[in-house]
Amino acid sequence: MLDRPKLGSNAPALEPEKYCHRYKKTMSNKAILCVDDEFIILETLVEQLEKKLGNKYIYETAETAEEGLEVLEELINDNVDILIIVSDWLMPGMKGDEFLTKVYQQFPDIVTVMLTGQADEESIVHAKNSANLHACLFKPWSEEELIRTIKSGLEKL
Amino acid sequence: MTKHSILIVDDTQANLRFLFSTLIKQGYQVYSAINGKVAVKVAQKNLPSLILLDIMMPEMDGYEVCEHMKADEQTRNIPVIFVSALNETFDKVKAFSVGGVDYVTKPFQMEEVLARVATHLALRDMQKKLVAQNVQLQEEITERKQAENNLQKTLENLRSTQSQLIQSEKLAALGQLIAGIAHEINTPLGAIRASIDNLLDSFNDAIMTLPQLSQSIVENDKHLKLLFTLLKKSKASTDLTSKEKRILKRTLQQKLSNENIAEISTLVNILTYMKISEGFDELLPLLKNEQSISIIKAARNFVSMRKNSDNINLAVDKASKVIFALRKFAHQDASGEKTEIDIIDSIETVLTLYHNQIKQGVEVVKYCQSLPPVLCYADEIHQVWTNIIHNALQAMTLSGTLTIEVIHSENQIIVSFTDTGCGMSSAIKERIFEPFFTTKRRGEGSGIGLDIVKRIVDKHQGKIEIESEIGKGTTFRVFLDDMR
Repeated sequence: MLDRPKLGSNAPALEPEKYCHRYKKTMSNKAILCVDDEFIILETLVEQLEKKLGNKYIYETAETAEEGLEVLEELINDNVDILIIVSDWLMPGMKGDEFLTKVYQQFPDIVTVMLTGQADEESIVHAKNSANLHACLFKPWSEEELIRTIKSGLEKL
Repeated sequence: MTKHSILIVDDTQANLRFLFSTLIKQGYQVYSAINGKVAVKVAQKNLPSLILLDIMMPEMDGYEVCEHMKADEQTRNIPVIFVSALNETFDKVKAFSVGGVDYVTKPFQMEEVLARVATHLALRDMQKKLVAQNVQLQEEITERKQAENNLQKTLENLRSTQSQLIQSEKLAALGQLIAGIAHEINTPLGAIRASIDNLLDSFNDAIMTLPQLSQSIVENDKHLKLLFTLLKKSKASTDLTSKEKRILKRTLQQKLSNENIAEISTLVNILTYMKISEGFDELLPLLKNEQSISIIKAARNFVSMRKNSDNINLAVDKASKVIFALRKFAHQDASGEKTEIDIIDSIETVLTLYHNQIKQGVEVVKYCQSLPPVLCYADEIHQVWTNIIHNALQAMTLSGTLTIEVIHSENQIIVSFTDTGCGMSSAIKERIFEPFFTTKRRGEGSGIGLDIVKRIVDKHQGKIEIESEIGKGTTFRVFLDDMR
């Protein structure tokens, strides 16, 4: 089956860019965003999600919370729904709990998950209270746990 | 003062009686003896303060009595005044040599007798007092020696407490670091675990699809070319940031959208995954094939195995770097001897341990001249850098620039740490090296960090200077001899 929409004779001729935009929507308009300052984490994490959840979602990454907010804005402008954000806690600049809180205040429907290497009780509690944290995973996480958490998060939507 | 007692010895009753009554009147207690033997017994029994001893007596004369007195430990110190008649032959020299202190002659001039008695009693008292004082002095000396010993022991205890305190300060610093270090270790561990899962899945998938792959390669040699071109391009690709990946993905989508190719979204994802960013046009014809998607999926598996192996390597390097620094830091040199160390390396060790705090918003700028190895107490020097860096990070509340400068000039190594933190007033600056002086909140610092730094620098015959301006920041400058 072709992903590409069939162009009927009465379909309007589209500018390449707009065409691309429409096209992307037909691929998938649901995204999962991962934020971590370590690219080895982002790479491995996204590969795990991609292979287990497949093409149903777009997987986006950001290396800081600030970049995460930028990506969020970009995706929203592209009419992409961000379903879940998985964020590290200890990052340069904005911390994970603060980032997820900001996200939650603007987009309360986005499911928030924290993935941290350091059990900082206070910030987990903070994220739970002010970012409606769905779950907190601890590094080193297991693939099964990760996928189960993401799936249960998606079910909440 | 107790009443003085005087023993009078004379073989003439009249003399005894006269002396007795005269001395009693003067307020003395008086014993009398009629001959030498009695005198010795009375003296031993009553231990008089002084003896007036007649010389010429039958059986035992005065000299003999005196010798007896001097031979006895108890009576030896009783002063003896000899009494002799003017008409008697009297050997003054003998009187003194047997131990007499003085003599008087009969008939008495009583004033003279009393004066001499009083003088010798006073002398005797003085002597007794001196002995007593001497004894007391001896006791005091012993006591003082004891006290000195106790002080010495206290000092030793204090020293060991101090070194325990230094050790515990080091452990406290370590404790503060541990939480951050857990993150530093758990991150690579997470990457390793995930990479292994990914690697195994790709491996299994590669095995499962192997028959299909070999068949399509046999059928069409373009497939093999596609496989190797993809692998080669992927291997030659550079690391991409998240942003660059997004751009690549978008570019690929744009380029492929106009082509009649199957499973475009999968293709775009895989090509992005393999970071095929250059020479895409030469690939395009190869992609336009029914079976090319299975070749691309196979290539993805191989790339995944390589990529995840690379990630494992990176993660292991990262974790071992932290562990290495930690081991260096926690190392306790039991030998107590100086070793040659690389100063820059030792600063790097501490920076590695503080990496997770530094990365939160501190830029570290380093200007380092190459240095000869320096002879010093390695773990103590680590503690110096740790305390200074820790303070700098706190002063900047983890946001600012930490400039570290290492200069080698005129047999001196100058290490300076400049932060862009809150700085301090000159009043605080003056007290900063005082033990237990702290500007931190209760529980945040022991207040002995910089005291320890100063002690350690002193121990190395070095010097530490501080410059600070409120609102601008602080510079700590450590001067060490480069003696080898």
